[in-house]
Amino acid sequence: MLKLFKKDLVLFLHDQRSVILTFLLPVILITLFAFAYGSIGAFNGRSEPVKLLVTDLDKTTSSQEIIFKIDSLEDIITVVSDSINSKELVIKGKYACALIIYKGFQDSLEYGNSFPIELVYDRSREMEISILQQNLISTIMSSTSGIMIKKNIEEYLKELFPDDENDISENIYGAVTKNGRNKQAIKWTPIVGIKNDTKLGLIQAVAGTAILMLLFSVAGVGTSILEEKENGTINRLLYSPLKGSTILYSKMLFAFFISILQLTAMFLFAWLILRMDMSVNIPGLIMMIISTAFAVSSLGIFLAAVAKTRQQAQNLSTIIILVMSAIGGSMIPLFIMPSILQKIALLSVNYWGIQGFYDLFWRVLPLEEILPKILILMSIGFVMTLASIQLFKKRIMNL
Amino acid sequence: MITLRSVSKSFKNIKALENVSFNIEKGEIFGILGPNGAGKSTIVNILNTLVKPDKGDVIIDGVNIKDDGETIKLIMGVVPQEIALYEELSAYENMMFWGGLYDIPKQDLKKNIYKTLEIVDLVNRKDDRIKTFSGGMKRRINIACSLLHNPKILVLDEPTVGVDPQNRNHIFEVIERLNHEGMTIIYTTHYLEEAERFCDNIAIIDVGHIIAQGTLKELRQISDVKDLLTINLADADSEIISRIISENPLFRFDSTSNTLKVECRNIGNDTSVIINQIQNSGGVIEKIYTQGTNLEAIYLKLTGKELRD
Repeated sequence: MLKLFKKDLVLFLHDQRSVILTFLLPVILITLFAFAYGSIGAFNGRSEPVKLLVTDLDKTTSSQEIIFKIDSLEDIITVVSDSINSKELVIKGKYACALIIYKGFQDSLEYGNSFPIELVYDRSREMEISILQQNLISTIMSSTSGIMIKKNIEEYLKELFPDDENDISENIYGAVTKNGRNKQAIKWTPIVGIKNDTKLGLIQAVAGTAILMLLFSVAGVGTSILEEKENGTINRLLYSPLKGSTILYSKMLFAFFISILQLTAMFLFAWLILRMDMSVNIPGLIMMIISTAFAVSSLGIFLAAVAKTRQQAQNLSTIIILVMSAIGGSMIPLFIMPSILQKIALLSVNYWGIQGFYDLFWRVLPLEEILPKILILMSIGFVMTLASIQLFKKRIMNL
Repeated sequence: MITLRSVSKSFKNIKALENVSFNIEKGEIFGILGPNGAGKSTIVNILNTLVKPDKGDVIIDGVNIKDDGETIKLIMGVVPQEIALYEELSAYENMMFWGGLYDIPKQDLKKNIYKTLEIVDLVNRKDDRIKTFSGGMKRRINIACSLLHNPKILVLDEPTVGVDPQNRNHIFEVIERLNHEGMTIIYTTHYLEEAERFCDNIAIIDVGHIIAQGTLKELRQISDVKDLLTINLADADSEIISRIISENPLFRFDSTSNTLKVECRNIGNDTSVIINQIQNSGGVIEKIYTQGTNLEAIYLKLTGKELRD
């Protein structure tokens, strides 16, 4: 079996196209996706600040106070502009959104009316908007509510003591907000994704792309069996003292080995170049790589076993891999998919692999928590392997 | 050396072989002649224990393939019809791989590789990748890869398909050399002239049946095909023609070409007699054409169709 394995390895290394497709292309794609998904799940202070256009048409102390508070936030950089220009800049895609504080803002605060504030934004950049949302709402709410409370106290006291002009209202406001000033009503605390420095987007890019490219590489190994059948080398192997099962198992072993090699290379690249923290759970990472490699390599071999010709295998593999990767979260992060697709995703090997890597690097779960996903991946591998053996015995080894 | 007794094999509803029997002596070249789909490859696969016959016995070197298929594989080398090589590997790497499957000690294997490369005359190309070879050179390496474990029997399944005449001759020389060194060779082909050139015994197979087998001489007798002598006469005078035909009623006259045709058992011995008969009858011979009994004529007579039909 080792002779066949060595032969396949030498053939693989001789074939520059295969080597590039197995290692270089995934690295390029991972890098691209890492940039594309880079900001997803970024923890405060570690992502690029979002630029927010601000137009102050009110030009009062209240509007200035709010702009000052927003500008003091770490995640937001304010850029002042007039209202027409702000909208144009958003429409042209220069900025994701613009906050417009209309004239009468301070009056509305004082009279308790709804605030004339508008956030205009580009729907295609909802990812950036969502980062803004949390900080923007809490800042505006805390600033405006303070002003409103103070005004309400003043009005109430004026009704009770019309002639009294002392600063009692200021004192009461001070007492009321003594323990709550500058505090948010709800404390926002991220509890997932804070234990290491790795961003969710990077994990998505590495795991998703690695599994997608792995499927293509392994499907290539699988179709090489059909290629060997077509060019007569399988028959020649069968003329030798080798057993048919040895030929099949060596192919499976090679596919498994290439899968482990490719996944390891991808994670090494993510660690060394993209600064993905690999140290969180080394045993878990090893087991995830092995189980994912086993499941994916078995699936690749199975796809080749189902097909009758090499051409058929290539077409079938491409369709199934692309569909499975699309629904399984390799191409698009699962958490932005509709719930029905998230349920269908359970049927794909990509899903279990990616979720396992999320558990490892994002949720930083211990090995026993990741074990169910590892077992599911191993089970997929075993079922596919058994099915492939039966199909290959019938279709390939049967002369 | 090899005996097939009443071997039959069917694939689903298709009878690939039916009651096939033949015997191959040690050191002979045995040709299996038949069109595509006749059952030649099924015989090859049965001999290599890849396909089990439904009925009958196959004894190779005293071993029944049912009892010990592994031993059979070790004494047999098969040159497949396809160029079953790895194009991305060099000739040497291919030979190391294919020879390595037989668990030959590495040093012995290396010696065998050089010896075999010499036989197929490709020593100087050993490090070149197969994909850079011509079709004929690939065929030669295809043969070489089946010789590395020093088989007693070599099965060549259509080894010259798509090969140019020069390389074809080279392959013939290799086969003749191996046979001269004592190797038993089974040669399947649908090229009659190849079987005729060096096969000691030939089995003609069609639709899974052995139609006839034996030496070329025996096949000639079985088929009752005779040599043909064609004589052009200088003057086709009807009186002279009548005299000639009365002298030998086997003569047939073709008035359009002014030729006399006669079938004879042995063209070498009979030609002088025929010439005398014509000259004694007053005929003047302009040209004589001889057409010996070839395998093509025998095949046509036996099967009723051309081999390349």
